[in-house]
Amino acid sequence: MNNNNTVKEIDSNSGMNHSARMRSLLNIFLKEVGIGIVLIVLVIAFSLGAPRFFTLINVGNIFTQISINTVIAVGMTFVILLGGIDLSVGSVLALCSIVAGKILINPSLPFGLAILLAVLLSVGCGMIIGFLNGIICETWKIHSFIVTLGMLNIARGMALQISHSKTIFNFPKVFNQIGTTTYLGVFPAIFIIAMMLVILGSVILRKTVFGRMIFAIGNNEESVRLSGHNVKFYKIMAYTICGGAVGIATIMYMMRMSIASPILGVGFELNAIAAVVIGGTSMSGGKGSLVGTFLGASIMGVLNNGLLLIGMGDFARQIITGVIIILAVVLDTYRTKFSAALNS
Amino acid sequence: MKRRLLALVLGMVVLLPSITFANGAQEEGDDKPVVGLIMKSLANEFFMAMDEGARAYAEEDGSFKLITMGMNSETDFDTQVNAVDSLITQGVDLIVLAPADSAGMVAPVKRAIDAGVTVINFDVTLDKGALKAAGLPEEFLFVGPDNTDGAEMVGNYLGEAIGEGGKVIIIEGNPGADNAKQRKNGFMKSIETHGMELLASNTAHWEAEEANTLMTNLLTKHPDVQGVMCANDSMALGVVRALEAAGRGDVQVVGFDNIPAVKDLILNDKMLATVHMDGTEMAILAFNAGFEIIDGSRENLGWVQSPLILADKDFFK
Amino acid sequence: MASIGNIIEFNNITLSFPGVKALDNVNLSVREGEIHILLGENGAGKSTLVKTLCGVHSPSSGDMVFAGKPYSPQNPLAAINQGIRVVYQEFNLLPYLSIAENIFFERLPKKGVLVDFNRLYKDAAVILKKVGLENLSPKTAVENLGVAQMQLIEIAKALSGESRILILDEPTATLMPDEIENLFGLLRKLKADGVTIIYISHRLNEIFQIGDRVTVLRNGCLVGTHEASELDIPSIVKMMVGRSMDSEYPFDESVIPSDTLLDVKNLVFKGSPYPKSFQLRKGEILGVAGLVGSGRTETMRALFGADPKESGEIFLKGKQLIIKSPKDAVENGLCLLTEDRKTQGLILDMSCLVNTTITDLEKVSRKGFLNRSQEEEITEKYIDEMNIKTPGLNQATLNLSGGNQQKILISKWLYRDSDVFIFDEPTRGIDVGAKYEIYLLLWKLAAMGRGIIMVSSDLPELMGVCHRILVFSDGKITGEVNRDQFDPETILNLSYKEYLNE
Repeated sequence: MNNNNTVKEIDSNSGMNHSARMRSLLNIFLKEVGIGIVLIVLVIAFSLGAPRFFTLINVGNIFTQISINTVIAVGMTFVILLGGIDLSVGSVLALCSIVAGKILINPSLPFGLAILLAVLLSVGCGMIIGFLNGIICETWKIHSFIVTLGMLNIARGMALQISHSKTIFNFPKVFNQIGTTTYLGVFPAIFIIAMMLVILGSVILRKTVFGRMIFAIGNNEESVRLSGHNVKFYKIMAYTICGGAVGIATIMYMMRMSIASPILGVGFELNAIAAVVIGGTSMSGGKGSLVGTFLGASIMGVLNNGLLLIGMGDFARQIITGVIIILAVVLDTYRTKFSAALNS
Repeated sequence: MKRRLLALVLGMVVLLPSITFANGAQEEGDDKPVVGLIMKSLANEFFMAMDEGARAYAEEDGSFKLITMGMNSETDFDTQVNAVDSLITQGVDLIVLAPADSAGMVAPVKRAIDAGVTVINFDVTLDKGALKAAGLPEEFLFVGPDNTDGAEMVGNYLGEAIGEGGKVIIIEGNPGADNAKQRKNGFMKSIETHGMELLASNTAHWEAEEANTLMTNLLTKHPDVQGVMCANDSMALGVVRALEAAGRGDVQVVGFDNIPAVKDLILNDKMLATVHMDGTEMAILAFNAGFEIIDGSRENLGWVQSPLILADKDFFK
Repeated sequence: MASIGNIIEFNNITLSFPGVKALDNVNLSVREGEIHILLGENGAGKSTLVKTLCGVHSPSSGDMVFAGKPYSPQNPLAAINQGIRVVYQEFNLLPYLSIAENIFFERLPKKGVLVDFNRLYKDAAVILKKVGLENLSPKTAVENLGVAQMQLIEIAKALSGESRILILDEPTATLMPDEIENLFGLLRKLKADGVTIIYISHRLNEIFQIGDRVTVLRNGCLVGTHEASELDIPSIVKMMVGRSMDSEYPFDESVIPSDTLLDVKNLVFKGSPYPKSFQLRKGEILGVAGLVGSGRTETMRALFGADPKESGEIFLKGKQLIIKSPKDAVENGLCLLTEDRKTQGLILDMSCLVNTTITDLEKVSRKGFLNRSQEEEITEKYIDEMNIKTPGLNQATLNLSGGNQQKILISKWLYRDSDVFIFDEPTRGIDVGAKYEIYLLLWKLAAMGRGIIMVSSDLPELMGVCHRILVFSDGKITGEVNRDQFDPETILNLSYKEYLNE
């Protein structure tokens, strides 16, 4: 049993015995990199199967393609870590795009100001809706599944209403150019934004009081409440962050596609949830990481790209993607068991 | 469940105006014929434009009352069935219907006909087998475009631009949708006529972002591509953006539908052409065919083709 | 060995859980057709004994004889098949199903693959008549019933099969007086039908109303079995409590309570209409006694803001506090160590470090960023001071023993440093050594001038450690006893006072 070791013994073990150190290394490896192995296997397999897969330009393309899902999934991770879910992200993306799009094409604004306002409004709109999701869930103690399902419809309806279901286009050139800018031949601008958000989110989750509270509440909300914390505040903030992330993803989407439309983003919530779950975040909350979420989004992007390049048909691709999602999570349960066995 | 809630919420946003309109029509109480126009998703710009155009036409024409109804999504077949039933109950004279499900909508159509309402099928044809099973003629009157013809027309235009033996990719619509299948068939005919080489044919589910990702990936696989045929303009937008990002201004793109966003692309040579389809015109053709059937001057059989026009740079000038 | 007339005999039953002997060499026989009362304090071993009888636990040693034959049930089903049925305190009913379906849930009559509803309702009606609910339709959904009716449905469920021994665990805890009378009538009828009844209760007066014989357990040991007619309440209380308690508990004469620290006036909360008032002084350890469900825990939770209050005023050092949430309480210098460590105390899957600093993250952070090394320093300090046995401060608290888990919980409140420490059952389920350390800690806090409230079901513990004991009975404060007047009989009488009056 663990309890037989005293603190003193642990301290004197700073020059730790070999097997203990190996075990802790293996533990960290399993915890953070487990899902990375799946990714590496996929990359190797596709590189062998399709000669153009592992080229600078294709890797750059994959980076572009995973950026939007990664950003939404970063926001979603905060909510799922609390044991909640946000089904409204796809619709909110559409609504934010309409709001931002209307500003962007406003001829009376100089384009620099228009872009700035569009970004602020998109993020603001996302945060407001996220905040509403959180407030409603917490005030009436309704499960987020239902609240955000309602919000999914409200946001979509509002997007259609405001836009009269018309696509908005003709954004400033500079704006569209950001969407196709690539640095060093392989790092698209929007991917760099996504990575910055992953890092920022990780820092928040790992290093701040706020992040500590997210994990703690996800594990045992009642304990945290009885420890004298305003649990509602943190939960509402998590939904707000998720909405804000969607607002950022919206701008990235508009930069990439150079359109805004009330019908875009359908099904994005499911891709984001898949990325989060493949990344090892527990649907019941309290356990997970943004690095995992990024790896989860990467796996989905690599699959989509790689399967096409090796010549897989549309339907087969869909089936295989589904199988991999389930497999990744099944593997994760084995990893958890193994790592638990290692600890005891 | 998702569908139900969607219906509820969107119903309030989208359907309320039409219901108010319907009440207005009945209150006036004169004996002008009442026409119900049931479209597919009003989230689709094509139907939104049709909705506006048809209402403007009805007001100008003044000889009939119009009730328009749009659905929540392209496949929202439940709501469409309810819409037909409620129009029957309201006692309209004519129902003009763009079916969300070509087989599934036959039963409500039959109910309407049995109730003495004239029904015109437009935009997408009702399923022949289902018509026959319901005891309706297989050649039930259809007002609409020949999608195959239109796709072949724009495909040929692309074929002429890139020349004999040109290498092309098809971006398909939703697998299973009738118009997606017809448009692909049309593209295939033009490929045969011009001896083009088909590199790949994949679906992007009518979606711009998915088409963008798909095209980017296909470019990696087939860098030698010269032309892309898209089953709708939304996907063409995504494809053009993918080519732009890859710096491939040399690849020619054609689309279908002529949504407002493609006009500038065609004028700026980023896209070659699309197929112009006028929703309002199609609806008007359907109204007139309906009135003729009510008059007895036309039989409810056959195909009234609505025109499809090739929209290239000259079209927009 | 088996004597005629005994339906069940426990011979030298011992049952050990890790660190605890739950039953220690218990010998007990129950006569066929009697109502046998099982008494003891919380944790005396009554439930464990019952669970052994119905196949939930297997004894570490000793054997049982049922109806003259050796009996060792491997699982609860085996016990049920022998006709041994239990009605637990928490109902085990499916609220949306009908009465009939609930009664016969384990073996619904079938017609082919379908349920034979005609027979089901007919059979259910017969059993309902047996328990005096013949005016209820077997088709009624259980959720529509009152507590007393649900209780009877549970009994009906137990009687649905061949039932030879019926065990009732505190069946009257939630019943009204006339409902209790009904229940007793039913029990007497069942007894006349030859069913043996084992009856666990805290209400001592009930013993004389329906009991034939009484067995008292204490600390897992048998104290004795007597005819009910030979006993009176004082003698029962003596049997229940009578253990020496001087050396087990530290008491520091030098710590003398001074000024009033906390003043609670007319506290009323949902489900408890009686206003409750009490005071706590600096350096005082105030014990709170009473039965489980007497309102002790509920009062502390309402005071702390964990559950909403309806009215009442709270003063700390003369200043009125507005406490609407635990956050308000903590910020004003109150802390509550909850009764249930695992669901309300610890964040089980997280480390000792996280669980220690959770009560005040501001102290270990700058501008929202946590200072990890400071957190480690603090956690190590408490691990050291509290003598917490853990492989490291990153160990998940899930993997610690009960005593060490409790010490982590105490650490987190020591770290926060409050004026008033409310401990709800701080020593429950932990071993003697750890208990002693916790008592010493209480004294240390008292010496520092803090006020301590300790809620406990362990009366000797309260009497050993506290300056003063507040007694709760059925939602009221029935008394306040100072140390010089401590006497188990007085306190027990006060705890049972409201129940006896019924």
